[in-house]
Amino acid sequence: MIELVDLTKKFKQIYAVKNLSMFIERGEIVGLLGPNGAGKSTAISILSSLVEPSGGDVRFENKSILKHPAPFRKVVGMVPQNIALYSDLTAEENLLFFGRIYRLRGKELERKVDEVLEQIGLTDRRRDVVKKFSGGMQRRLNIGVAMLHDPELLIMDEPTVGIDPQSRNYILETVKRLNEERKMTVLYTSHYMEEVEFLCDRIYIMDKGNLIASGTKDEIKQILSSEKTISITMERLNEEFLDSLKENPLVNRVTIGEKEVTILVPRDINIFSEIIKLAESTGIELNSVDNKTPTLEDVFLHLTGRALRD
Amino acid sequence: MIGILLAKLKSFIRNPWTFLIFTFMSMFFAFIFGGTSVEKAYVPIHAVNENIKDSFIGQQLKEQEGFHFSWMTEGDLREKIETGKAEIGVVLQENDYSIIVGVNSFNTDLVQQIISGIYQEKIEREQILLAFEQGASDESNILTEMDQAMEKPIFKIESASFRGEGAFVYDNSLHRIFGFSLFFVIYTIAYNVLPILIEKREGIWDRMILSPLKKSEMYIANLLYSFITGYLQVLVIFLMFRYVVGVDFHDRFFETLLLLIPYVFSIVALTMLITAIVKNVRQFNAVLPIIAVSMAMIGGAYWPIEIVESKLLLILAKFNPLTYGMEVLNGVAVYSYPLEELLFPISVLVLMGVTMIGLGIHLMERRHI
Ligand SMILES: Nc1ncnc2c1ncn2[C@@H]1O[C@H](COP(=O)(O)OP(=O)(O)O)[C@@H](O)[C@H]1O
Ligand SMILES: [Mg+2]
Repeated sequence: MIELVDLTKKFKQIYAVKNLSMFIERGEIVGLLGPNGAGKSTAISILSSLVEPSGGDVRFENKSILKHPAPFRKVVGMVPQNIALYSDLTAEENLLFFGRIYRLRGKELERKVDEVLEQIGLTDRRRDVVKKFSGGMQRRLNIGVAMLHDPELLIMDEPTVGIDPQSRNYILETVKRLNEERKMTVLYTSHYMEEVEFLCDRIYIMDKGNLIASGTKDEIKQILSSEKTISITMERLNEEFLDSLKENPLVNRVTIGEKEVTILVPRDINIFSEIIKLAESTGIELNSVDNKTPTLEDVFLHLTGRALRD
Repeated sequence: MIGILLAKLKSFIRNPWTFLIFTFMSMFFAFIFGGTSVEKAYVPIHAVNENIKDSFIGQQLKEQEGFHFSWMTEGDLREKIETGKAEIGVVLQENDYSIIVGVNSFNTDLVQQIISGIYQEKIEREQILLAFEQGASDESNILTEMDQAMEKPIFKIESASFRGEGAFVYDNSLHRIFGFSLFFVIYTIAYNVLPILIEKREGIWDRMILSPLKKSEMYIANLLYSFITGYLQVLVIFLMFRYVVGVDFHDRFFETLLLLIPYVFSIVALTMLITAIVKNVRQFNAVLPIIAVSMAMIGGAYWPIEIVESKLLLILAKFNPLTYGMEVLNGVAVYSYPLEELLFPISVLVLMGVTMIGLGIHLMERRHI
């Protein structure tokens, strides 16, 4: 449906996006994962024809949208990262306004507004001013506004930042439902890997403007096939234990939590007995030593050496 | 486009506070500072000879619009001045007069000008009468006599203590109303242009760009809305002073309202340019008062520009829309100039407006905030 070809965007000295290529097929939910500043919003702005790239092309149905964005704009719905609503107007007034700029009128407009309010679960708050809404409700309306003109492709830029878990689940369920019931294609951007894991068929992972991994969930986790993650929990950590872990030639990476240490080791090594020995010799009281199933977080850690959320 | 205007109107009705505060402030300041002279300025006057009061001179004085001349004894007059109840007083003799100055103000010049004018006219009339009496009955003779009288006034005007060419009409109450209105409306307009910046940053503009709406419609709707609110504010203020306080617009109220348009337009353009240049709302809030206040000071909103002597300030004033705004409004209401005389400042305002809007939109489009 849509394809980014070798996209680059430079702001003065820095590359916000560098040689990014990706595609989205009809009916997919595609995830774009990356920490803050990875270049996700920039990539999305270019993809939705709002920002011109420094290089590369965006193709919709095999035609470049850079010169002729009109046909593409008709079918795209954009959920911006910020709450892009008139805060002094009510939910209903906002929907009416944005519906009208899409040339919806009269009965059709009313029907559409009712339908969207129903979808985002704000029917009984329709006459309340947006300013008075909770963060979650504002986020929901922010999404609702983008669905008024029945877009074929919905682009969502971190639609769940800073909201309560309930609203977050509601949004995730709504996106899934839209995709299943209406065959809506979705590009979902987030720095929460759980969301992307839950929603998406295929995933692109970005960091510092670069694409560092892409594919289905399983394909991406295959990146970790040569390694496994072991989680060690204990009553109290000490430096000696950590140092000896770090010095161990079998251990590839050590990540330290409060009462937990995660290490990456080669897949075919049995390191359990060694850990227990180490613990004994350094006076650590172990609670558990687990073999973890890898997450996207682990993939990101593996590829960049940093946690996704910092 | 209508949709945008309606949305803005609804927001305005829910949140009219900025508008109301600045409208109120303009009125308050204009009232406080211009308040004392909403009535005519008070000038005690004494005539050494009772006849003068009923003569041509007395009648002329009665017709003066800006001043209320109050007849009294010389003793009372001096007391009024010494006790600060009056700024200046006038003592009239048959063919001469003196002005007693307590506080030197704009009014001193003005009174001096008015009275010397009246005396001169009186003498001209006497000359003509004299010419008749002497039997010079043919027209050319009378005219020659009159010309002579005009060229050689009997008495010299003592202008040493006054600014030579500086005699200008100064209507304090109108000046204050104009000054404070033009000053505060900058804020009202600016805070209605600012949402462009906020809506761009938040993504409302992106939404509109993706919709079938045209860019031009978006700009026109926003700028038109700012224009209307700005104009409405000054309209409310002027109506209030005209009909409630009863300030005299010298029968040119309608013209004043009409000629306000170029100024409001130029300020919409100016704030558009500022909005395009600043990086965020904080910068905007920091820059706006600096620009507005210096424009008001240089442009003569607080005091008449005629008293400014610094060359630099006068040059700066030439680039200041407020200078021309004051010039137009004063021109129309205080000096009663015909429209043609005001074409220059009006054109400057329109030109400034067009340039700044063009530049503002260009910068904004290029920057992609
Ligand atoms: N308009 C801009 N001007 C300059 N730098 C920008 C601009 N927009 C984004 N950037 C920079 O580009 C990088 C990527 O930003 P962004 O696309 O917003 O990342 P993300 O959405 O993944 O958090 C960041 O380093 C950011 O500072
Ligand atoms: Mg972002």
